Amino acid sequence: MTWLIWRQHRTEVCVLGLLVGVFGIALLVLGTQAHDLFPGGSARCAGEAGVSEACAASFRRLDEEYGYVENLLAGFYLLPVVIGAFLGAPLLARELEDGTWQLAWTQAVPRMRWLAAKLAALAGVTVALTGMFTAVITWFRQPFDAWEGRLQYDAFDVEGLVPAAYALFAFGVATAAGAILRRSLPAFGVAFGAFLAARMSVALLARPAYATPLTTMEPVPVGGPKDQAGHPPAPSIADWMIEHGYADTTGRRLSSAEYYDLEAAADRAGTNLNQFLHARGIQQFEVYHPADRFWTFQLIEAALFVAVAAVLLGVVVWRVRRRMI
Amino acid sequence: MTATEFALRTEGVGKRYRKGWALRDCTLALPAGGVIALVGPNGAGKTTLLRMVVGLLAPSTGTVEVLGHDVTASTPQTLSRVGFLAQDHPLYKRFTVAEMLRFGRACNLRFDQGLAERRLAKLGIPLDRRAGTLSGGQQAQVALALALAKRPDLLVLDEPVASLDPLARHEFLQVLMGAVAEGGVTVLFSSHVVHELERVCDHLVVLNHGRVTLTGDIDTLLAEHRLLVGPRTATDLDRSGAVVQAVHSDRHTTLLVRDGGIPAAPGWQAQPVALEDLVLAYLRRPSEPGAALTSGVAA
Repeated sequence: MTWLIWRQHRTEVCVLGLLVGVFGIALLVLGTQAHDLFPGGSARCAGEAGVSEACAASFRRLDEEYGYVENLLAGFYLLPVVIGAFLGAPLLARELEDGTWQLAWTQAVPRMRWLAAKLAALAGVTVALTGMFTAVITWFRQPFDAWEGRLQYDAFDVEGLVPAAYALFAFGVATAAGAILRRSLPAFGVAFGAFLAARMSVALLARPAYATPLTTMEPVPVGGPKDQAGHPPAPSIADWMIEHGYADTTGRRLSSAEYYDLEAAADRAGTNLNQFLHARGIQQFEVYHPADRFWTFQLIEAALFVAVAAVLLGVVVWRVRRRMI
Repeated sequence: MTATEFALRTEGVGKRYRKGWALRDCTLALPAGGVIALVGPNGAGKTTLLRMVVGLLAPSTGTVEVLGHDVTASTPQTLSRVGFLAQDHPLYKRFTVAEMLRFGRACNLRFDQGLAERRLAKLGIPLDRRAGTLSGGQQAQVALALALAKRPDLLVLDEPVASLDPLARHEFLQVLMGAVAEGGVTVLFSSHVVHELERVCDHLVVLNHGRVTLTGDIDTLLAEHRLLVGPRTATDLDRSGAVVQAVHSDRHTTLLVRDGGIPAAPGWQAQPVALEDLVLAYLRRPSEPGAALTSGVAA
């Protein structure tokens, strides 16, 4: 079976391996240079950035010289679906397309064993490739993360456990779609669409609700929100801001219309906006998830996608066991 | 294997798809040894039945027993006793012929690599060619060599020669019959072509509209049936219920009867019937047995 699986899927595995290898090496090279900006380690430097001018300068250089790479990395949020769907779509669809399922399942290997071996091997390759690349990205992003935290989309989505879970999900969708549609290419398309839909809705709707966010509420300082000294201290840049705005003395949140009315009133009165707001007891609030919730959130989201992948693979097993056609 | 063992026994087998029944009430007992032909028009349920025989498909009703074992069990032991050649003889198109043989070796308990290589060498099929680049006839031969290398007790072939040109068809049947002659294998194959069956087959199953309309040893079937030719009569044809088909010309009526001992009346002549005519007569019979006589009378 090992030889057969390798022979049937070596093209996909080699192409994906090459893809991961080339991008991985490029990131390792660029990452080594970026890491060299922080001789004392980026994590320590991030703590000292407020006080050490050298560290502040290092972070500025990091942003100037490697900021573009960081932006490009966002493109790799598609890597899990490329890996998972590319390996999953042909698993059953190609056999059904070519009629070779009748050949494969009438040899002495019972079809459930055939299916189990294929699913295990290809899901394993999916997780291994995604995991390797995720390790490289996570390492590359260390200096960026030291400054920005890991809960923002551009870090959270490509680091830790979730990329492998996304890839497994894509593998599950592609395999199930292949079993039902009996065509590799449409199955790949379905997996791609399902991946985008699931990822977006989970990231935007579900993820902020994994835990109750924290809220800070403080009176508007006289110096204004842009004054660092007066800025509420609790949410740092590494925390994940969900929402922020203004509230009245009782803590009731102001709609944007109400806020603009206040702004207009301040204009008419000819006073400084912040003084105007401060005088009326207006408070500013911020709703956020602290940066240290990274691993909790990673575990929850990974479990979510792995669970859906397991259900999809269950559908595949059921389809094959029930004897297709 | 004893002579009394059945290669295939089905009991009330039916298969229902969403569209309706593809096969109903199929009860068969086919002896081991020899060649069994499954004949029927396209859409009669031949492929459905064969897929159930090799365990690719589970019956909706009834049981299928192959070589004394329930096929739904699908253990390596039962799977390795049955060889299957699906319609259009699928192969992994990007595998070389040698890799196809390696596939067979990797996926079977017993696999006679030497036998397969000898067969292919005799046919001049190179081992290093990709399966997809071979001609249709050669692909069929590779698929057959693969199935035979399992040394199966039952070899099932679905329309094995339907897509082949006459020469390839002849060569294919020659190899197949050679394998049968070497002994030990029961062959069950489906076909919608009726002629040449007599030369190749020992046993016949006629399938029409998802039902078995005729089954039996070919020699016995031919002995049981005869054509009665007499003056044209339009009435009182089926006194004994044995009339399979009645054909009327201007002056004569030709009856195909089963178990029809003596001519029905003076002036009637009995003739033996050819296998092809026998099969066609059963295929022309309508699907509902009760309506046999009325629709059987052709103008």
